[in-house]
Amino acid sequence: MTPVAERNGVGGTGLRVEGLTKAYGETQALAGVSFELRRGSIHALLGGNGSGKSTAVKILAGVERADRGELAVGDERIDARAMTPGRAREAGLRFVHQQASTFPSLTVAENLAIGHGFPHDALGRVRWRAVRRRSRAVLQRFGIDADPSTPLAELGPASRAMVAIARALQDQEGEADGILVLDEPTASLPAEEVRLLLAALQRYAAAGQTILYITHRLEEVLDVADTATILRNGEVVATVDRGSVDHESLVELIVGRRVEWGLSQRSGEDRAGEPVLRASGVCGGRVRDASFSLAAGEVVGVAGLLGSGRSTLLRVIFGATPLEAGELELDGSAVRRRTPREAMRAGIAYVPEDRLSEGAFPALSVAENLAITVPGRYFGRGRWQRRRERREACGLVDTYGIKAGSIDSSFASLSGGNQQKVVLARWMQRQPRLLLLDEPTQGVDMGARAEIWKLVRGAVRQGAAALVVSSDFEELARTCDRILVMREGRIAAELRGEEINEESIDRSTLTAEIHS
Amino acid sequence: MLTGLEAYAMVGLLVVVALFFSFYSKTADVFPTSANAAQIVGGQAVVAIIALAALIPLICNEWDLSVGATAGMSSIFAAAAMSHGAPVILAILLGIGLGALVGVVNALIITRAGVSAVITTLGMATIIEGVVNQKSKGLAIVANIPSSVVSFGSQNWLGIPRTAYALALAAVLVYYALTHTPVGRQLYALGANQEGARLVGLRTKMLLGSTFVAAGALAGAAGVLQVARAGGADPRIGPSLTLPALAAAFLSAAAIKPGRFNVAGTLVAIFFLATLNNGLNLAGAASYVSSYINGAALILGVGLAAFLGRKRTGGG
Repeated sequence: MTPVAERNGVGGTGLRVEGLTKAYGETQALAGVSFELRRGSIHALLGGNGSGKSTAVKILAGVERADRGELAVGDERIDARAMTPGRAREAGLRFVHQQASTFPSLTVAENLAIGHGFPHDALGRVRWRAVRRRSRAVLQRFGIDADPSTPLAELGPASRAMVAIARALQDQEGEADGILVLDEPTASLPAEEVRLLLAALQRYAAAGQTILYITHRLEEVLDVADTATILRNGEVVATVDRGSVDHESLVELIVGRRVEWGLSQRSGEDRAGEPVLRASGVCGGRVRDASFSLAAGEVVGVAGLLGSGRSTLLRVIFGATPLEAGELELDGSAVRRRTPREAMRAGIAYVPEDRLSEGAFPALSVAENLAITVPGRYFGRGRWQRRRERREACGLVDTYGIKAGSIDSSFASLSGGNQQKVVLARWMQRQPRLLLLDEPTQGVDMGARAEIWKLVRGAVRQGAAALVVSSDFEELARTCDRILVMREGRIAAELRGEEINEESIDRSTLTAEIHS
Repeated sequence: MLTGLEAYAMVGLLVVVALFFSFYSKTADVFPTSANAAQIVGGQAVVAIIALAALIPLICNEWDLSVGATAGMSSIFAAAAMSHGAPVILAILLGIGLGALVGVVNALIITRAGVSAVITTLGMATIIEGVVNQKSKGLAIVANIPSSVVSFGSQNWLGIPRTAYALALAAVLVYYALTHTPVGRQLYALGANQEGARLVGLRTKMLLGSTFVAAGALAGAAGVLQVARAGGADPRIGPSLTLPALAAAFLSAAAIKPGRFNVAGTLVAIFFLATLNNGLNLAGAASYVSSYINGAALILGVGLAAFLGRKRTGGG
């Protein structure tokens, strides 16, 4: 038996992770990751895209099964292969995920009670007074300045995140017995709200709460984390103490030195063709004051972290998200009525990030999915020219190397790569002037990836321009002529020619304004 | 193979049911006669056209619960116009026009105000019931209906009830619009993925609204046909037509083109249900049995449509 004083004391081991290993098919997501959290401290888990940090969190939460490894919480040892959400909870692990699952239209008290259970009398009637009394106590304990009967939606984003944290922690037995795991809690918060939330976290840690903090934002780590573990390619690169690192050295650890890629797909020559798109002072949704231009023959990448406004930028150009201010010019003439329909007429094509829910019609056939962007083409002599539609669909399937059972197969039955090729083929047949592609190779295997890029290059060579969002920076570095880097809704940097490599993109998305 | 089975299963069932009642001792002397067949076909024309009306918004995944009431209203107003001596063609146009007007109101409320279609059309059906009772004072209109109209509803051409020709015309029109025009293709796309449809430049609100206008106009036409069929208009008949029509429209996703609401499937479903009801009726089953069948058909139709739709999208 460990003495109580030591168990609850600050400085003892709160959570130890040993030799965590996980492979998805060929990809080694985690290769023996070990780290340790001290009680009452904030420990940051850092890493770029694909470093394995989300996989580690999923294993801790019990939603992914590890191949090997062991966890120790306090003095209890758990085989990582046997983790389930139930066991994670029993062990005192509490999770607050990125999209906090709170209920904006319910009151603060109700939000808290949903995680705890509503106290009720013998008839099943909720004892509201008890609910409010309890909520008040919880709010006080977590230092949240809110009335229990306020609807959650009326609180600021930081307070909302704190309510989510309070809900996760409210029924710990000892006040600070468990371990709080926060997965990018600040990804969608504005700067001043981030400060409020971080201050609250520091208070909780000072009161003895152990916190594992997963984030992209280095300045937050430097501000609040006591220690940090940096992951790269599924391995621990280093575990460092605050004070022993600065911003630059953290970036160095996260990015590392990477092997140069062989032949890039970039055009190499700097051919500034006719300008296709000119955006000046564009605002809409998250996007703030974006100004840039695209020339014919160019593939331009948009890099940024989640929530940087990279996807919204494409949606605003396509008219799917309203343009609030600024001007867009296509081929020298201003685009006035901003709807997807008008954007298409003007020669813009848009491939959304979410293929199944936005980009295509899963229940319809391949042929129907292909024909939908050219509505009038197959209607002639008073009827639908079915034979012509089928002939041209077969032609597209051949040209774009789409592997489908037949053109009558449902779109949903194709593999990810082939689905994406159908979506691309459908737009390419309109011979667009401007291609807007959001994560075009997501969920696509390596072979199809190369083919998709070849299609994009082919269209651009014929005088179009392409604007491509991808969270795979390595891919952007290899395929784009120019990179726009977005941070907090603004275009914060532009990389050209020799400046472009994965490392430089990584660096510029991570660097906050203060440092630039 | 399997899709072939799915596509024609209901046609097969229809044949089986028809054969059964042709040889079943209690019904064998009445069921397989041409008079009874004409009765089934002629009697179903009205509800079948209403089912085609319900089918159009259903393709966009929206329910129109006002189709029966709209048909009832059109029948009352058309019959009233005829009995006051208005020309037949004017009465027909009045019936169809009123139906289209109801559709326009539905469309505006649903697409502009964003009220759910189920609620809008349910409320509209109830309001229409009020209009009908106010107009008819609860009494059937049977006086002065021109004989040309009545004979259209009761006589045959080439051995087939004349109302069946009206149904055939309506079915061909809807079939043409849904499968041979760009708008029809766009409706199916809208039904498959509304946000996706917007992002390929379709005018989703315009399309959705127009389905309700088309449904209203078709229901109005069905109401006029009802005047011919019944030789007048009964203020109570409208609302009772909605659910059997909707059931057939839903069941259409389980026939001919599985997983997709379609015209041929709607007709198969209508005649399957009518044959079953007719046979049971002749066999001496109590009249409430048809309520069981129509209710069960609606539930089964919705269930099958959802199941076959999931199968097509590969969802669980």
